[in-house]
Amino acid sequence: MAHLRKKVEMSNSDQTTSMIKLENVTKYYKSFPAVNDVSLEINRGEVFGFIGPNGAGKTTTIKMLATLMLPSEGRLSIGGYDIEREPYEVRRMIGYMPDSFGVYEDLLVWEYLDYFASLYKLGPAQRKRSISDVLELTDLTIKRDAQVMSLSRGMKQRLCLAKTLLHDPEVLLLDEPASGLDPHARIEIRELIRELCRMGKTVLVSSHILTELADFCTSIGIIEAGRLLAAGRIDDITSKLAGNVVLEITVKGDPALALESLAERVEVKRATCDGRIIRAEYTGHSDDVDELLEYLIHRGVRLLGFIRTEADLEDIFLKITRGAVA
Amino acid sequence: MRTRMRGKRAFLVLTGYVALLSLIIGLIYIIFKNNAPTSLLNNAGKVLTPVLVYVQMGLICLMAPTFSASAISSEREQETFDLLIASLAKPSTILFGKVGAALSYLVLTLFGSLPLIALTYSLGGVDLLDIARVYLVMFVAGVTYCSLSFLWSTLIRRGVVAQFVSLFAVIFLVAAMPALALFFTALASNFSGGPSPSFMNIVFLLLRTNPFAAIASLIPGFAPPQGIWLPNFPVWASQVLFYLLLTALSLYFSLKRLEKVRKWM
Repeated sequence: MAHLRKKVEMSNSDQTTSMIKLENVTKYYKSFPAVNDVSLEINRGEVFGFIGPNGAGKTTTIKMLATLMLPSEGRLSIGGYDIEREPYEVRRMIGYMPDSFGVYEDLLVWEYLDYFASLYKLGPAQRKRSISDVLELTDLTIKRDAQVMSLSRGMKQRLCLAKTLLHDPEVLLLDEPASGLDPHARIEIRELIRELCRMGKTVLVSSHILTELADFCTSIGIIEAGRLLAAGRIDDITSKLAGNVVLEITVKGDPALALESLAERVEVKRATCDGRIIRAEYTGHSDDVDELLEYLIHRGVRLLGFIRTEADLEDIFLKITRGAVA
Repeated sequence: MRTRMRGKRAFLVLTGYVALLSLIIGLIYIIFKNNAPTSLLNNAGKVLTPVLVYVQMGLICLMAPTFSASAISSEREQETFDLLIASLAKPSTILFGKVGAALSYLVLTLFGSLPLIALTYSLGGVDLLDIARVYLVMFVAGVTYCSLSFLWSTLIRRGVVAQFVSLFAVIFLVAAMPALALFFTALASNFSGGPSPSFMNIVFLLLRTNPFAAIASLIPGFAPPQGIWLPNFPVWASQVLFYLLLTALSLYFSLKRLEKVRKWM
């Protein structure tokens, strides 16, 4: 793993350098703007969560960054290299893992990695070392001589991540890396990404499952219907929503009365219900939450729980998006 | 190539191919031995070698599109194309790698038939140099069909459609030219006073593009008609040149297509 770790020091000393930059990027599919005037900067060593519902434009943006597509308008660069004019320099810097990908089923695991290592121009000795390192990192060493077709979905996902890391890229573009995986495999992938973060890689990871990103992202971008609605450090975005306390209210029986009661209060901006748990966005003074509790009890709502929480990614996402696509 | 050669399939295909050729040659030899006069038996190679070569050429026409036409289409279908393009592989690397892989198996089948050719050669009536030229014609035809099929593979998204179109293109190349030549010859027989020399030249020019005609010009060999253009330029050489030109064009357009991959993905 040594060659994968060597950049940590460098990245720590140069945290503020912009690694990924999008300037007024628009991508049309015929006349439909899949990505619409997106501008974004991601610094070195940052782990950027790209959040948005299906069809929001995440994959199109990542594909453009991976030099697989050209923008209709605007400019994208990675490490200062323009994706349109200097695609090979960009490809040398990035590791790209698509949201849906195939593998060469007839190959053995090490042959699959060897094939891609040769495509990344690694010499025979370096190739051998890299393959061994990425297999160890992704916990696939035991499967080195197994046929790719015999691997489970989660293992194939890890194999693709191993392939992505072969040439020790500075920037990782991971498009829905945990999609379609069972909870166990999901946790494994999450741990792997966390390990990559520790190695100082700049990571852009997309997902429509917010809890997946909440744990390890340093900053996020929320995209919907091709438009970037918000981007920045999670705490910055959260602080922008200051004053909005989220209440988690658990009711006994039908939550309809509770929802009706909450709708009557002007200081409750939004309330969503998931079974018996209601999440309500409270815009009033945080010290006056007790008044709302009293009101609910007065209205005859039978409460099992009433908790004041900080806004999490889900709350931020709900607040910012209009839900037009999902 | 590595995956193609793995397992029993490659071994079985190659064995089946050689067995089929052996069966055809064996049957023809038995019929020939029982019916041909003794004077001809001393030159049995003159009959058996062309049969062997024609069957091989026919198989090349069928195999080359099968191997090459799905090179890019299948990468797109099995969702591995993105990974390939996002790597440091240059379009030329992808092109020559894919065409080379398709061709390598074709070359292997050509090598597989060498022991049979050695047998028919030993029966007499065939020049070793002509056999070498015939193999050159077949090899170049294989390269051309692989290149042409690869071009279709970059143009057509679905592998099955790309294979079908490639096969059709190869059949057109092989059959359309002699068919046109035959048609014009039949037409000319209705002319009063017979066909004009330039008409015959055009007909012969069409035949110069055909690998089967090129092989026939070598084994058993035929003399070109009187008064044709470039009478001393061998038919096989003109056919090889024509196919090399086709190969160059196919590879050039495939390369251009791969260079602009970001515009059509």
